[in-house]
Amino acid sequence: MHIPDGLIPPSVCISGYALTGGMTWYALREIKKDSNPQANIPKASLLTAAFFVSSLIHIPIPPTSIHLILNGMMGAILGYYAFLAIPIGLFFQAVMFNHGGISTLGINTVIMGLPAIAAYHLFRLRDKVPRNRQFWTKVLAFASGAFALLLSATLFAAIAISTISPDLDAAQERNAIYLSLVSYGIQAIIEGAVTVMLIAFLEKVKPELLNI
Amino acid sequence: MKLAIDRYAYLDSPIHHWQQNYKIVGLIGLIFSFAFINNLILLPIIIIITGIIFFLSRLPFSYLVSRLRYPGWFILAVVFLLPFMVGETVLFQWGELTLKLEGCQTAAVIVVRFFCILTISLVLFGTAPFLSSIKGLRSLGLPQVIVDMTLLAYRYLEEVGDMVNSMEIAIKLRGFDKHRFKYRNLQVLARLIGSLLVRSYERSTRIYQAMILRGYGYKIPGKKRVKKLLINPENYQDLLATVLILSIAISLLGLDLFLTIR
Repeated sequence: MHIPDGLIPPSVCISGYALTGGMTWYALREIKKDSNPQANIPKASLLTAAFFVSSLIHIPIPPTSIHLILNGMMGAILGYYAFLAIPIGLFFQAVMFNHGGISTLGINTVIMGLPAIAAYHLFRLRDKVPRNRQFWTKVLAFASGAFALLLSATLFAAIAISTISPDLDAAQERNAIYLSLVSYGIQAIIEGAVTVMLIAFLEKVKPELLNI
Repeated sequence: MKLAIDRYAYLDSPIHHWQQNYKIVGLIGLIFSFAFINNLILLPIIIIITGIIFFLSRLPFSYLVSRLRYPGWFILAVVFLLPFMVGETVLFQWGELTLKLEGCQTAAVIVVRFFCILTISLVLFGTAPFLSSIKGLRSLGLPQVIVDMTLLAYRYLEEVGDMVNSMEIAIKLRGFDKHRFKYRNLQVLARLIGSLLVRSYERSTRIYQAMILRGYGYKIPGKKRVKKLLINPENYQDLLATVLILSIAISLLGLDLFLTIR
């Protein structure tokens, strides 16, 4: 779900960098409000590495396989650090595996990062639930995992398809976006399910990890 | 998981000798100018420029091919339909299938831009150790928090990768068949990722304590932490190379603009 170099017009690349710059500034401002932001840097860094490696694990869906995106999970665990962790992960992918690209790093960060922040706020709603917290944690975990992926997929498909060529007519664009969203819909369900399992696991084993 | 990024970072070539922070400025400028190209007539020029830079870097051609394989298939899959869907000028018709000129041109522009940008990126990050690239980005004003996170994530990436490899071997030895899709398998994989997160988190606590003991976050009064990009007689060759590349980049932008409005 990464836009490669050369595919989209430069105006979109530059807008992506501008949006990422603004969002990074906002994320850094939010992070500085922590009581000890410095202490969270090693935690966020190692979890960035762990998420990066986890996203390389393939899940078989015969006749093919998918890899997890986990941006919703990153948002739920890392909060605003996720918006710093995502460009780092994307930079590693661009440099190490040539997935995505350097000129499209900004727009890819927007595609992955904004849904992660949305997922963070969605998951935090569990703190406001008066009762039946365990049930609502599962519901919100599923919603953040699935919603973040669907939002990323929508942004990706809309940006890639609508900017690839000005000669492509609107009806074709719409059909292509809907078609791509059907396949991502299946992945969103899997991503949501894995997020529920992961949150349930972490709540049992290391609950403080959910409160960075 | 072996990180192969530094494999050719220590070769002896003019590009390897080019100081990384200057190289970042020059080649990123060139990458963005390539992204602006829309005229077919400029495509051979950017291929030649890319070819010269790649040749000067002395990186093996097989390395480029190996790095192009996966993203190359992806881009081909994306542009494959363009010649049949975009445009009005018919080049060839076979039943319902119509090959159109404008679609072919758009596909050619995308593929060439992609190939050239990817090659320049490979030269940029493949001709210096990854740590030099991070230091270069820091000297260009990347926020300290992001630099620290990038360095730490990079430092532990390989170890976390090894950790996940040994966990995968362990579950396989206990009879886990990862090639089958079922709820139970998904649960095992989620727990594997969860264990990885817990282990990384626990390790990060120890790392933070070790960093504090070594003075992390302590600023010496009056001393600047970051060495900024300086211009002095020692690096005028690096500066010259950057100015040359940026001039080429600006000329390409000007040419593309001229050809578009002509």
